[in-house]
Amino acid sequence: MTTAASDSATTPEPGAAEVPRPSVTLQVLLSNEFGLAALIAVAVVIFATSLPGFTSPFSLFTLSRQIGIDTMIGLAMMAVIVTGGLDLSVGAIGACAAMFFGFGLEQLGLPLPVAIVFALLLGAGLGAINGITVVRSGVHSFIITLASMSIFFGVMIYLTQAKGFNGLPPGVAAFGRMKLVGPVSVLLVTTLAVCAGLLVLYRFTALGRQMLSAGANARAAELSGIEVGRTLIFCHALTGALAALAGLMLTARTGAAVPSMAGHLGQDWLLPAFLAPVLGGTLLTGGRVSVIGTLLGATFVTVITSGLLLMRVSEFWVQAFLGLMLLAAVLIDKARHTLLRRRGMI
Amino acid sequence: MASILEIRHVSKSFPGVKALDDVSISLAAGSVHALLGENGAGKSTLIKIITGVQAPDAGEVLFDGASMRFSKPREAGACGIGVVHQERNLVMRFSVAENIMLDRLGAHSLSRVDHTAIADEAVRWLKMLDLDIDPGTPVSRLSVAQMQLVEIGKALSLRSRVLLLDEPTASLTPNESAALFAIIRKLKADGVAILFVSHKLEEVFGICDTVTVLRDGRNVCDSVPLAGLNRQDVVKMMIGRAEQLARRAPRSKPAASPLLELRGYSSDAGHRDVNLTVRPGEIVGLYGLVGAGRSELAKSVLGLSRQTGGEVLLNGQAVHITSVASALHHHGIGYVSEDRKGEGLILLHSVLDNAGITIWQRLASRFGLLHDATVAREVGPVIAKLEVKTPSLQQTIGNLSGGNQQKVSVAKWIAAGVKLLIIDEPSVGIDIKTKAYLHDLIHELAGRGTAILLITSDMPEMVDVADRILVMDRFRIKGEVENDRVYERVSQAIMTFIHDRKAA
Ligand SMILES: Nc1ncnc2c1ncn2[C@@H]1O[C@H](COP(=O)(O)OP(=O)(O)OP(=O)(O)O)[C@@H](O)[C@H]1O
Ligand SMILES: [Mg+2]
Repeated sequence: MTTAASDSATTPEPGAAEVPRPSVTLQVLLSNEFGLAALIAVAVVIFATSLPGFTSPFSLFTLSRQIGIDTMIGLAMMAVIVTGGLDLSVGAIGACAAMFFGFGLEQLGLPLPVAIVFALLLGAGLGAINGITVVRSGVHSFIITLASMSIFFGVMIYLTQAKGFNGLPPGVAAFGRMKLVGPVSVLLVTTLAVCAGLLVLYRFTALGRQMLSAGANARAAELSGIEVGRTLIFCHALTGALAALAGLMLTARTGAAVPSMAGHLGQDWLLPAFLAPVLGGTLLTGGRVSVIGTLLGATFVTVITSGLLLMRVSEFWVQAFLGLMLLAAVLIDKARHTLLRRRGMI
Repeated sequence: MASILEIRHVSKSFPGVKALDDVSISLAAGSVHALLGENGAGKSTLIKIITGVQAPDAGEVLFDGASMRFSKPREAGACGIGVVHQERNLVMRFSVAENIMLDRLGAHSLSRVDHTAIADEAVRWLKMLDLDIDPGTPVSRLSVAQMQLVEIGKALSLRSRVLLLDEPTASLTPNESAALFAIIRKLKADGVAILFVSHKLEEVFGICDTVTVLRDGRNVCDSVPLAGLNRQDVVKMMIGRAEQLARRAPRSKPAASPLLELRGYSSDAGHRDVNLTVRPGEIVGLYGLVGAGRSELAKSVLGLSRQTGGEVLLNGQAVHITSVASALHHHGIGYVSEDRKGEGLILLHSVLDNAGITIWQRLASRFGLLHDATVAREVGPVIAKLEVKTPSLQQTIGNLSGGNQQKVSVAKWIAAGVKLLIIDEPSVGIDIKTKAYLHDLIHELAGRGTAILLITSDMPEMVDVADRILVMDRFRIKGEVENDRVYERVSQAIMTFIHDRKAA
């Protein structure tokens, strides 16, 4: 289900419904999410039967951990795609937040919860800077966040002298190794909790609805009394906070905060960041999101990637494959867009 | 008479709606054929099926006696079928001339675009439509009515043998429509077959000779001569009963002190020395020709263009409003936009989300939580009163018929519970039955003390609804007419103010 509309008891106009609506089952079967779930099932079955190591508890644990992190990265991007914009600086923000987290724990001796909160606030703050710049300048977020990506990353490298924090309290790495319910990583459980929160946000709060409206048609939203500028800044700040959370999760996985955790300038995150939401049915032009779709999109990508790696396909080919998949996802998005335009809905 | 275009037993369903059920119609050369029906009756769907925008589930389209099925709208154009769809389809960033000539910009995609030739050709059609604008103007800067005329010019410039006009006059004033009718009569004499959709029956009786009426997607009549039918016959076919004349209690003159007062107001948009007052419970009409600056005045008061002089008083206090959000949430002012596609609705979202957008903030609980059921409880009654035809409140609003979309675009502000409501062209594309309900709602709202500023180009609507009427011309108020509901006298008085411009 996409979250632009949600279901509840309604009173159909008498006489209007002369043809039965397609059943709920049919709607589910035709949805993007169902398609992804089916693809995931197929991939899992193929890998499980042909690759002996795929279903080992350890493999399942690393798989769930990776799904947790990649979904979080995808959610971060999704939160800004809602506006019809994007944020190239998610990786940089994630790295900045993780480094700040390490600094707080190691150098300042902050208690763990305090360090977490500060890191998330830093992420939200950096996102808000992006948002404010986009709203004030009226320039597309592509350019703004391309610039801020370099700035955030550059400043972080300067301040940390490109040195990581390896002496984090043991609790951090222990959290990264923790399992809940069988082999499932606690990182995935964290992500599921955030998914639930976002579902509530977009479906059951005024703020979430305002975000979707401002993203779908900013002019109409403004003339309906929505403070579009402020709403867009919120979206960017949310993206920053989620990117920071992804950075912290990655830190828990490796047990250390290192500047290169998201690659140079944080670029390693970009592919998973776009793949998950776009595969999941979030409209690149804004106004429609799918939280569950993003979760499934990231799951699909992670399953395929780890299967291919287990088959000893080289990393290079896996990357190329992911690139192709993004291209396919964008083409599907374009087709969706054309369909909506043809129906006069954009 | 030879029929050029014939539709036989066409059916079309959408999820939850049977839009067309065994519909037939035939268009003859040299005839103006009226296609009538309530909102959601299936008129636009029929036109979309003819032009290949949508494929029929059953039935066939015969063009010159041969069965035809266009898969792309462009093919219909190439075959000599021109169309003005109900929804605007202009490219906002292109100029007026480029839009008119869009399908013929150079023979190949790579050939050079001859801008002077395009402008010359465009100007011809603009002149014919009495539209005095520079063909190089980007369409995004035009008013809704001007865009509509450009759209019509684009269809006319194809010189097609069949012309399908889906509510071409919905957002035009009688003056602009008159120019279009002159062209239609000429095309008719030249042997063009014209299909004309409108909810304004005066127009239908003025220019049409044949009529087809649809009700709930079925033919009530199929291509019968209009001669011999009167307004009541047609209304009865459309709504299944006779038209009820509005019998409203006479309105008492509100005596409270003004809620909104403009004193010597001028703006960036071009307004000069505008004086205006609206009292609680009063309905003040603002009439003027297209381009008179009425919508611009409303938007300027809401802070969308800058005030350059004079005063805005709310309840006697000078205020400076900077955004629609503060107008709504701090001052209790709402504005129903005339441009439902661009400014009124979020077509991608549901009926409920569109209807509730103005009250989300008010309804949300302490933690910002908001349930659909809460919103539905608030907007449901207004949606029901206006008989919005939709399979459910969750339906994507872009899938509703044009008139039903319009109802939601007004309903969301009626439900907003504001103290001052500025209503800009509320009944564009709304059928006659619902229009009466809408007028009832506006009167009810005023009865409960809401101050209303009504902008409409529909003279009968103005006379039916407003208490007094201000006439605006070229961004100034020209005068005021007390509305005694005597149509001839009031409209005469209004037109005198407008035509006064030469003398001035
Ligand atoms: N793309 C669509 N998806 C779902 N339902 C649709 C779609 N297009 C039209 N409908 C439905 O079909 C019915 C007929 O719509 P249509 O637009 O043809 O009405 P209309 O006669 O043109 O009305 P109006 O006077 O309001 O323009 C309506 O109930 C509408 O909700
Ligand atoms: Mg229509």
